[in-house]
Amino acid sequence: MSSITVQAEPNAIAIDTDRTALVVIDMQRDFLEKGGFGEALGNDVSLLSSAVPHCAAMLEVARAAHMLVVHTREGHRPDLTDAPRAKIERGSPSMRIGAMGPMGRILVRGEPGHDIVRELCPRPGEPVVDKPGKGAFYATDLHLILQTAGIENLIVCGVTTEVCVHTTVREANDRGFRCIVPSDCCASYFPEFHEVALRMIKAQGGIFGWVSSSARILDAFR
Amino acid sequence: MGHIAAVPYPWPFDGDLRRENTALVVIDMQTDFCGKGGYIDLLGYDISLTRACIEPIQRVLATFRKRGFPVFHTREGHRRDLSDLPDNKRWRSRRTPSGVGIGDQGPCGRVLVRGEPGWAIIPELAPIDGEPIVDKPGKGSFCATDFELQLRLRGIRNLVLVGITTDVCVHTTMREANDRGFECLVLRDCCAATDRGNHEAALKMVTMQQGVFGAVGDSRALMDAIATGPLPS
Repeated sequence: MSSITVQAEPNAIAIDTDRTALVVIDMQRDFLEKGGFGEALGNDVSLLSSAVPHCAAMLEVARAAHMLVVHTREGHRPDLTDAPRAKIERGSPSMRIGAMGPMGRILVRGEPGHDIVRELCPRPGEPVVDKPGKGAFYATDLHLILQTAGIENLIVCGVTTEVCVHTTVREANDRGFRCIVPSDCCASYFPEFHEVALRMIKAQGGIFGWVSSSARILDAFR
Repeated sequence: MGHIAAVPYPWPFDGDLRRENTALVVIDMQTDFCGKGGYIDLLGYDISLTRACIEPIQRVLATFRKRGFPVFHTREGHRRDLSDLPDNKRWRSRRTPSGVGIGDQGPCGRVLVRGEPGWAIIPELAPIDGEPIVDKPGKGSFCATDFELQLRLRGIRNLVLVGITTDVCVHTTMREANDRGFECLVLRDCCAATDRGNHEAALKMVTMQQGVFGAVGDSRALMDAIATGPLPS
Protein backbone atom coordinates (compact mmCIF):
# COMPACT_ATOMS: atom_id res chain seq x y z
CA MET A 1 0.00 0.00 0.00
CA SER A 2 1.37 3.41 -0.81
CA SER A 3 -0.82 6.22 -2.17
CA ILE A 4 -4.46 6.42 -1.15
CA THR A 5 -7.05 9.16 -1.47
CA VAL A 6 -9.09 10.00 1.59
CA GLN A 7 -12.43 11.75 1.18
CA ALA A 8 -12.46 14.69 3.56
CA GLU A 9 -13.37 18.32 4.02
CA PRO A 10 -12.52 20.82 2.75
CA ASN A 11 -11.33 18.48 -0.02
CA ALA A 12 -10.12 14.95 -0.70
CA ILE A 13 -6.47 14.38 0.17
CA ALA A 14 -3.98 11.91 -1.31
CA ILE A 15 -1.51 10.47 1.18
CA ASP A 16 1.35 8.01 1.02
CA THR A 17 0.64 5.52 3.82
CA ASP A 18 4.38 4.90 4.26
CA ARG A 19 4.69 8.54 5.24
CA THR A 20 1.58 8.66 7.39
CA ALA A 21 1.29 7.97 11.12
CA LEU A 22 -1.78 7.25 13.19
CA VAL A 23 -1.65 9.28 16.40
CA VAL A 24 -4.08 8.25 19.14
CA ILE A 25 -4.36 10.97 21.75
CA ASP A 26 -4.94 10.36 25.47
CA MET A 27 -7.37 7.44 25.31
CA GLN A 28 -6.70 6.91 29.02
CA ARG A 29 -8.77 5.11 31.61
CA ASP A 30 -9.19 8.20 33.79
CA PHE A 31 -10.85 10.09 30.96
CA LEU A 32 -12.92 7.27 29.47
CA GLU A 33 -13.93 4.71 32.04
CA LYS A 34 -16.75 4.71 34.50
CA GLY A 35 -15.33 5.24 37.96
CA GLY A 36 -12.40 7.32 36.66
CA PHE A 37 -11.28 10.87 37.25
CA GLY A 38 -13.31 12.28 34.36
CA GLU A 39 -16.53 10.89 35.76
CA ALA A 40 -15.60 12.00 39.27
CA LEU A 41 -15.49 15.56 37.92
CA GLY A 42 -19.12 15.16 36.88
CA ASN A 43 -18.58 14.41 33.19
CA ASP A 44 -20.63 11.93 31.17
CA VAL A 45 -17.83 9.58 30.06
CA SER A 46 -20.11 7.77 27.60
CA LEU A 47 -19.65 10.83 25.38
CA LEU A 48 -15.97 9.85 25.03
CA SER A 49 -16.26 6.08 24.98
CA SER A 50 -18.28 6.30 21.77
CA ALA A 51 -14.98 6.99 19.98
CA VAL A 52 -13.31 3.77 21.20
CA PRO A 53 -14.62 1.35 18.54
CA HIS A 54 -13.86 3.84 15.76
CA CYS A 55 -10.32 4.29 17.08
CA ALA A 56 -9.99 0.50 17.26
CA ALA A 57 -10.97 0.28 13.59
CA MET A 58 -8.34 2.87 12.69
CA LEU A 59 -5.71 0.96 14.67
CA GLU A 60 -6.59 -2.23 12.83
CA VAL A 61 -6.26 -0.69 9.38
CA ALA A 62 -3.09 1.22 10.26
CA ARG A 63 -1.46 -1.92 11.67
CA ALA A 64 -2.45 -3.92 8.60
CA ALA A 65 -0.86 -1.24 6.40
CA HIS A 66 2.30 -1.29 8.57
CA MET A 67 1.91 2.38 9.35
CA LEU A 68 3.63 4.01 12.28
CA VAL A 69 1.24 4.11 15.23
CA VAL A 70 1.90 6.48 18.13
CA HIS A 71 -0.10 6.70 21.35
CA THR A 72 0.01 9.64 23.73
CA ARG A 73 -0.84 9.96 27.41
CA GLU A 74 -1.25 13.14 29.39
CA GLY A 75 0.36 12.91 32.80
CA HIS A 76 3.12 14.04 35.09
CA ARG A 77 6.24 12.73 36.79
CA PRO A 78 5.36 11.31 40.22
CA ASP A 79 7.29 14.15 41.90
CA LEU A 80 5.26 16.67 39.82
CA THR A 81 8.42 18.56 38.78
CA ASP A 82 6.87 18.97 35.35
CA ALA A 83 3.46 20.15 36.56
CA PRO A 84 2.92 23.92 36.51
CA ARG A 85 1.41 25.37 39.68
CA ALA A 86 -1.09 27.17 37.51
CA LYS A 87 -2.28 23.76 36.32
CA ILE A 88 -2.20 22.06 39.73
CA GLU A 89 -4.04 24.82 41.55
CA ARG A 90 -7.05 24.77 39.27
CA GLY A 91 -10.00 22.75 40.51
CA SER A 92 -10.92 21.67 43.99
CA PRO A 93 -8.02 20.49 46.19
CA SER A 94 -9.28 16.90 46.40
CA MET A 95 -9.36 16.66 42.60
CA ARG A 96 -5.96 18.14 41.92
CA ILE A 97 -3.14 16.63 39.88
CA GLY A 98 -1.23 14.30 42.19
CA ALA A 99 -4.15 13.83 44.61
CA MET A 100 -5.49 10.32 45.13
CA GLY A 101 -8.32 9.72 42.69
CA PRO A 102 -10.52 6.72 42.04
CA MET A 103 -7.84 5.01 39.89
CA GLY A 104 -4.68 6.11 41.65
CA ARG A 105 -2.99 9.51 41.78
CA ILE A 106 -4.64 11.85 39.29
CA LEU A 107 -2.71 12.43 36.05
CA VAL A 108 0.44 10.78 37.40
CA ARG A 109 2.50 8.43 35.27
CA GLY A 110 2.46 4.82 36.33
CA GLU A 111 -0.95 4.99 38.01
CA PRO A 112 -3.78 2.72 36.76
CA GLY A 113 -5.96 5.63 35.65
CA HIS A 114 -3.13 7.04 33.54
CA ASP A 115 -2.97 3.95 31.38
CA ILE A 116 -4.57 3.55 27.97
CA VAL A 117 -7.91 1.72 27.82
CA ARG A 118 -7.62 -2.00 27.20
CA GLU A 119 -9.40 -1.91 23.81
CA LEU A 120 -6.75 0.42 22.38
CA CYS A 121 -3.73 -1.05 24.13
CA PRO A 122 -0.44 -0.20 22.39
CA ARG A 123 1.48 -3.06 20.81
CA PRO A 124 5.25 -3.56 20.84
CA GLY A 125 6.87 -1.19 18.36
CA GLU A 126 4.21 1.48 18.84
CA PRO A 127 5.79 4.37 20.71
CA VAL A 128 3.88 5.76 23.67
CA VAL A 129 4.59 9.45 24.19
CA ASP A 130 4.05 10.80 27.70
CA LYS A 131 3.24 14.48 27.55
CA PRO A 132 2.95 16.98 30.41
CA GLY A 133 0.72 19.37 28.49
CA LYS A 134 -2.15 19.39 26.07
CA GLY A 135 -0.07 19.35 22.91
CA ALA A 136 1.81 16.14 22.09
CA PHE A 137 4.83 18.03 20.73
CA TYR A 138 5.55 20.15 23.80
CA ALA A 139 8.37 18.80 26.01
CA THR A 140 8.30 15.39 24.28
CA ASP A 141 10.19 13.42 21.65
CA LEU A 142 7.21 13.09 19.28
CA HIS A 143 8.65 15.37 16.59
CA LEU A 144 11.91 13.40 16.62
CA ILE A 145 10.04 10.08 16.31
CA LEU A 146 7.97 11.34 13.37
CA GLN A 147 10.99 12.79 11.58
CA THR A 148 13.01 9.65 12.15
CA ALA A 149 10.27 7.61 10.49
CA GLY A 150 9.98 10.04 7.55
CA ILE A 151 6.40 10.96 8.40
CA GLU A 152 4.62 13.78 6.53
CA ASN A 153 0.94 13.14 7.35
CA LEU A 154 -0.89 12.40 10.57
CA ILE A 155 -4.26 10.82 11.19
CA VAL A 156 -5.16 12.21 14.60
CA CYS A 157 -7.72 10.45 16.81
CA GLY A 158 -8.49 10.68 20.50
CA VAL A 159 -9.82 12.90 23.22
CA THR A 160 -10.80 15.53 23.75
CA THR A 161 -11.44 17.14 20.40
CA GLU A 162 -11.15 20.76 21.44
CA VAL A 163 -8.35 20.34 23.97
CA CYS A 164 -5.59 17.81 23.35
CA VAL A 165 -6.52 16.82 19.80
CA HIS A 166 -6.79 20.45 18.75
CA THR A 167 -3.58 21.57 20.43
CA THR A 168 -1.69 18.67 18.87
CA VAL A 169 -3.14 19.33 15.40
CA ARG A 170 -2.18 23.00 15.66
CA GLU A 171 1.37 22.13 16.76
CA ALA A 172 1.68 19.56 13.96
CA ASN A 173 0.32 21.94 11.34
CA ASP A 174 2.87 24.62 12.26
CA ARG A 175 5.61 21.99 11.96
CA GLY A 176 4.57 21.10 8.42
CA PHE A 177 2.55 17.92 8.93
CA ARG A 178 -0.74 17.38 7.10
CA CYS A 179 -3.35 16.37 9.65
CA ILE A 180 -6.49 14.36 8.99
CA VAL A 181 -8.98 14.19 11.86
CA PRO A 182 -11.67 11.48 11.62
CA SER A 183 -14.60 13.11 13.37
CA ASP A 184 -16.03 9.94 14.94
CA CYS A 185 -12.62 8.95 16.32
CA CYS A 186 -12.58 12.06 18.51
CA ALA A 187 -14.93 13.13 21.24
CA SER A 188 -15.51 15.71 23.90
CA TYR A 189 -17.39 16.00 27.17
CA PHE A 190 -19.03 18.97 25.44
CA PRO A 191 -20.62 17.93 22.12
CA GLU A 192 -20.93 21.53 20.96
CA PHE A 193 -17.17 22.03 21.41
CA HIS A 194 -16.51 18.84 19.44
CA GLU A 195 -18.55 20.15 16.53
CA VAL A 196 -17.11 23.62 16.46
CA ALA A 197 -13.54 22.35 16.93
CA LEU A 198 -13.91 20.21 13.81
CA ARG A 199 -15.31 23.18 11.92
CA MET A 200 -12.29 25.25 12.91
CA ILE A 201 -9.90 22.65 11.50
CA LYS A 202 -11.45 22.65 8.04
CA ALA A 203 -12.32 26.36 7.84
CA GLN A 204 -10.50 28.72 5.47
CA GLY A 205 -9.56 25.96 3.05
CA GLY A 206 -8.34 23.66 5.81
CA ILE A 207 -6.44 26.07 7.99
CA PHE A 208 -5.29 23.33 10.38
CA GLY A 209 -5.99 20.26 8.25
CA TRP A 210 -8.69 17.94 6.99
CA VAL A 211 -11.77 16.46 8.66
CA SER A 212 -12.84 12.98 7.60
CA SER A 213 -14.44 9.95 9.26
CA SER A 214 -13.39 6.41 10.09
CA ALA A 215 -15.70 5.02 7.37
CA ARG A 216 -14.20 7.25 4.69
CA ILE A 217 -10.65 6.40 5.76
CA LEU A 218 -11.45 2.68 5.79
CA ASP A 219 -12.92 3.09 2.28
CA ALA A 220 -9.69 4.68 1.11
CA PHE A 221 -7.71 1.66 2.29
CA ARG A 222 -9.93 -0.83 0.43
CA MET B 1 26.36 34.76 47.67
CA GLY B 2 27.63 37.07 44.98
CA HIS B 3 30.09 36.27 42.24
CA ILE B 4 32.57 33.46 42.05
CA ALA B 5 35.89 33.58 40.25
CA ALA B 6 35.57 32.31 36.69
CA VAL B 7 36.89 32.97 33.21
CA PRO B 8 36.29 35.31 31.42
CA TYR B 9 34.06 37.03 34.01
CA PRO B 10 33.02 36.56 37.64
CA TRP B 11 29.96 34.30 37.53
CA PRO B 12 27.02 34.72 37.46
CA PHE B 13 26.96 37.98 35.51
CA ASP B 14 24.76 39.79 38.07
CA GLY B 15 25.96 38.08 41.23
CA ASP B 16 22.52 36.57 41.85
CA LEU B 17 23.59 33.12 43.04
CA ARG B 18 21.12 31.40 45.36
CA ARG B 19 19.82 27.91 46.00
CA GLU B 20 16.46 29.05 44.64
CA ASN B 21 17.81 29.94 41.20
CA THR B 22 20.91 27.80 40.70
CA ALA B 23 21.02 24.11 39.75
CA LEU B 24 23.74 21.55 39.21
CA VAL B 25 23.32 19.55 36.00
CA VAL B 26 25.22 16.26 35.94
CA ILE B 27 25.41 15.18 32.32
CA ASP B 28 25.52 11.58 31.10
CA MET B 29 27.66 9.98 33.83
CA GLN B 30 26.63 6.57 32.50
CA THR B 31 28.51 3.31 32.23
CA ASP B 32 28.25 3.60 28.45
CA PHE B 33 30.42 6.72 28.58
CA CYS B 34 32.86 5.92 31.37
CA GLY B 35 32.55 2.26 32.35
CA LYS B 36 34.31 -0.95 31.37
CA GLY B 37 32.48 -2.58 28.47
CA GLY B 38 30.41 0.55 27.80
CA TYR B 39 30.02 2.32 24.48
CA ILE B 40 33.07 4.59 24.80
CA ASP B 41 35.19 1.62 25.88
CA LEU B 42 33.98 -0.34 22.84
CA LEU B 43 34.91 2.58 20.63
CA GLY B 44 38.49 2.02 21.77
CA TYR B 45 38.93 5.20 23.80
CA ASP B 46 40.76 5.33 27.12
CA ILE B 47 38.00 5.51 29.72
CA SER B 48 40.41 6.76 32.37
CA LEU B 49 39.99 10.13 30.64
CA THR B 50 36.23 10.25 31.15
CA ARG B 51 36.48 8.68 34.62
CA ALA B 52 38.82 11.42 35.81
CA CYS B 53 35.91 13.73 36.61
CA ILE B 54 34.01 11.28 38.82
CA GLU B 55 35.63 12.24 42.13
CA PRO B 56 35.47 16.00 41.56
CA ILE B 57 31.79 15.68 40.64
CA GLN B 58 31.15 13.61 43.79
CA ARG B 59 32.47 16.47 45.91
CA VAL B 60 30.40 19.12 44.13
CA LEU B 61 27.32 16.92 44.28
CA ALA B 62 27.76 16.42 48.03
CA THR B 63 28.08 20.16 48.54
CA PHE B 64 25.00 20.96 46.46
CA ARG B 65 22.98 18.37 48.34
CA LYS B 66 24.16 19.55 51.74
CA ARG B 67 23.40 23.18 50.92
CA GLY B 68 19.97 22.38 49.47
CA PHE B 69 20.68 23.38 45.88
CA PRO B 70 18.69 21.56 43.17
CA VAL B 71 20.39 18.81 41.20
CA PHE B 72 19.40 17.38 37.82
CA HIS B 73 20.86 14.35 36.06
CA THR B 74 20.71 13.52 32.37
CA ARG B 75 21.05 10.24 30.51
CA GLU B 76 21.59 9.83 26.80
CA GLY B 77 19.71 6.83 25.44
CA HIS B 78 17.01 5.59 23.15
CA ARG B 79 13.62 3.95 23.34
CA ARG B 80 13.83 0.20 23.25
CA ASP B 81 12.19 0.13 19.80
CA LEU B 82 14.75 2.72 18.58
CA SER B 83 11.93 4.86 17.15
CA ASP B 84 13.84 7.94 18.35
CA LEU B 85 17.17 6.90 16.83
CA PRO B 86 17.99 8.65 13.55
CA ASP B 87 19.36 6.32 10.86
CA ASN B 88 22.57 8.29 10.45
CA LYS B 89 23.31 8.18 14.17
CA ARG B 90 22.94 4.40 14.17
CA TRP B 91 24.95 3.97 10.97
CA ARG B 92 27.83 6.04 12.27
CA SER B 93 27.81 4.27 15.62
CA ARG B 94 28.43 0.93 13.90
CA ARG B 95 31.52 2.08 11.98
CA THR B 96 33.74 1.01 14.85
CA PRO B 97 36.35 -1.68 15.44
CA SER B 98 33.82 -3.78 17.41
CA GLY B 99 30.98 -3.20 14.95
CA VAL B 100 28.69 -2.92 17.96
CA GLY B 101 26.58 0.19 17.53
CA ILE B 102 23.70 1.89 19.31
CA GLY B 103 20.88 -0.57 19.93
CA ASP B 104 23.14 -3.62 19.49
CA GLN B 105 24.00 -6.12 22.19
CA GLY B 106 27.28 -5.34 23.93
CA PRO B 107 28.97 -6.45 27.13
CA CYS B 108 26.73 -4.10 29.17
CA GLY B 109 23.48 -4.89 27.38
CA ARG B 110 22.09 -3.07 24.36
CA VAL B 111 24.22 0.01 23.77
CA LEU B 112 22.60 3.33 24.78
CA VAL B 113 19.17 1.78 25.19
CA ARG B 114 16.99 2.83 28.12
CA GLY B 115 16.76 0.25 30.85
CA GLU B 116 20.01 -1.53 29.99
CA PRO B 117 22.91 -1.84 32.47
CA GLY B 118 25.30 0.24 30.34
CA TRP B 119 22.81 3.08 30.10
CA ALA B 120 22.50 3.44 33.87
CA ILE B 121 24.17 6.23 35.79
CA ILE B 122 27.30 4.96 37.55
CA PRO B 123 26.78 4.07 41.22
CA GLU B 124 29.30 6.67 42.43
CA LEU B 125 26.99 9.43 41.16
CA ALA B 126 23.61 7.77 41.56
CA PRO B 127 20.70 10.22 41.78
CA ILE B 128 18.81 10.40 45.06
CA ASP B 129 15.12 11.08 45.67
CA GLY B 130 14.06 14.53 44.56
CA GLU B 131 16.71 14.81 41.85
CA PRO B 132 14.97 14.68 38.46
CA ILE B 133 16.52 12.58 35.73
CA VAL B 134 16.12 13.79 32.16
CA ASP B 135 16.24 11.12 29.46
CA LYS B 136 17.45 12.63 26.24
CA PRO B 137 17.77 11.04 22.81
CA GLY B 138 20.40 13.49 21.58
CA LYS B 139 23.47 15.36 22.71
CA GLY B 140 21.65 18.39 24.04
CA SER B 141 19.53 18.09 27.17
CA PHE B 142 16.83 20.43 25.83
CA CYS B 143 16.06 18.63 22.57
CA ALA B 144 12.94 16.42 22.74
CA THR B 145 12.80 16.51 26.57
CA ASP B 146 10.93 18.24 29.40
CA PHE B 147 14.12 19.74 30.85
CA GLU B 148 13.31 23.39 30.08
CA LEU B 149 9.80 23.00 31.48
CA GLN B 150 11.20 21.68 34.76
CA LEU B 151 13.80 24.46 35.04
CA ARG B 152 11.26 27.20 34.37
CA LEU B 153 8.78 25.76 36.86
CA ARG B 154 11.42 25.85 39.60
CA GLY B 155 12.54 29.34 38.73
CA ILE B 156 16.07 28.26 37.89
CA ARG B 157 18.18 30.78 35.98
CA ASN B 158 21.78 29.64 36.66
CA LEU B 159 23.11 26.26 35.53
CA VAL B 160 26.35 24.66 36.72
CA LEU B 161 27.29 22.07 34.12
CA VAL B 162 29.40 19.01 34.85
CA GLY B 163 29.77 15.59 33.23
CA ILE B 164 30.81 14.01 30.02
CA THR B 165 31.84 14.69 27.45
CA THR B 166 33.00 18.31 27.47
CA ASP B 167 32.98 18.80 23.73
CA VAL B 168 29.82 16.85 22.93
CA CYS B 169 26.94 16.66 25.42
CA VAL B 170 28.14 19.27 27.90
CA HIS B 171 28.81 21.76 25.13
CA THR B 172 25.56 21.13 23.26
CA THR B 173 23.60 21.51 26.48
CA MET B 174 25.45 24.71 27.33
CA ARG B 175 24.74 26.16 23.89
CA GLU B 176 21.04 25.25 24.07
CA ALA B 177 20.78 26.71 27.59
CA ASN B 178 22.62 29.89 26.65
CA ASP B 179 20.33 30.54 23.70
CA ARG B 180 17.36 30.17 26.07
CA GLY B 181 18.71 32.79 28.45
CA PHE B 182 20.13 30.54 31.17
CA GLU B 183 23.37 31.72 32.79
CA CYS B 184 25.86 28.84 32.52
CA LEU B 185 29.06 27.89 34.30
CA VAL B 186 31.02 24.82 33.22
CA LEU B 187 33.42 23.35 35.79
CA ARG B 188 36.75 22.58 34.17
CA ASP B 189 37.74 19.82 36.60
CA CYS B 190 34.27 18.22 36.61
CA CYS B 191 33.99 17.46 32.94
CA ALA B 192 36.07 15.39 30.59
CA ALA B 193 36.34 14.32 26.99
CA THR B 194 37.61 11.32 25.06
CA ASP B 195 40.38 13.56 23.77
CA ARG B 196 42.32 16.01 25.95
CA GLY B 197 42.76 18.45 23.11
CA ASN B 198 39.01 18.57 22.55
CA HIS B 199 38.38 19.12 26.27
CA GLU B 200 40.72 22.11 26.33
CA ALA B 201 39.48 23.53 23.06
CA ALA B 202 35.83 23.20 24.11
CA LEU B 203 36.52 25.11 27.33
CA LYS B 204 38.45 27.76 25.46
CA MET B 205 35.53 28.27 23.06
CA VAL B 206 33.31 29.15 26.00
CA THR B 207 35.65 31.95 27.06
CA MET B 208 35.88 33.67 23.68
CA GLN B 209 34.01 36.91 22.93
CA GLN B 210 33.76 37.80 26.64
CA GLY B 211 32.04 34.49 27.38
CA VAL B 212 30.08 33.63 24.29
CA PHE B 213 28.32 30.69 26.00
CA GLY B 214 28.91 31.60 29.65
CA ALA B 215 31.94 31.07 31.88
CA VAL B 216 34.48 28.42 32.89
CA GLY B 217 35.17 27.85 36.58
CA ASP B 218 36.51 25.19 38.88
CA SER B 219 34.84 23.22 41.61
CA ARG B 220 36.90 24.66 44.47
CA ALA B 221 35.80 28.25 43.86
CA LEU B 222 32.18 27.21 43.46
CA MET B 223 32.11 25.06 46.58
CA ASP B 224 33.79 27.78 48.64
CA ALA B 225 31.10 30.21 47.52
CA ILE B 226 28.07 28.06 48.22
CA ALA B 227 29.40 26.47 51.41
CA THR B 228 28.93 29.76 53.26
CA GLY B 229 25.72 31.09 54.75
CA PRO B 230 22.99 29.25 56.59
CA LEU B 231 22.05 25.67 55.77
CA PRO B 232 18.57 25.18 54.38
CA SER B 233 15.89 24.78 57.00
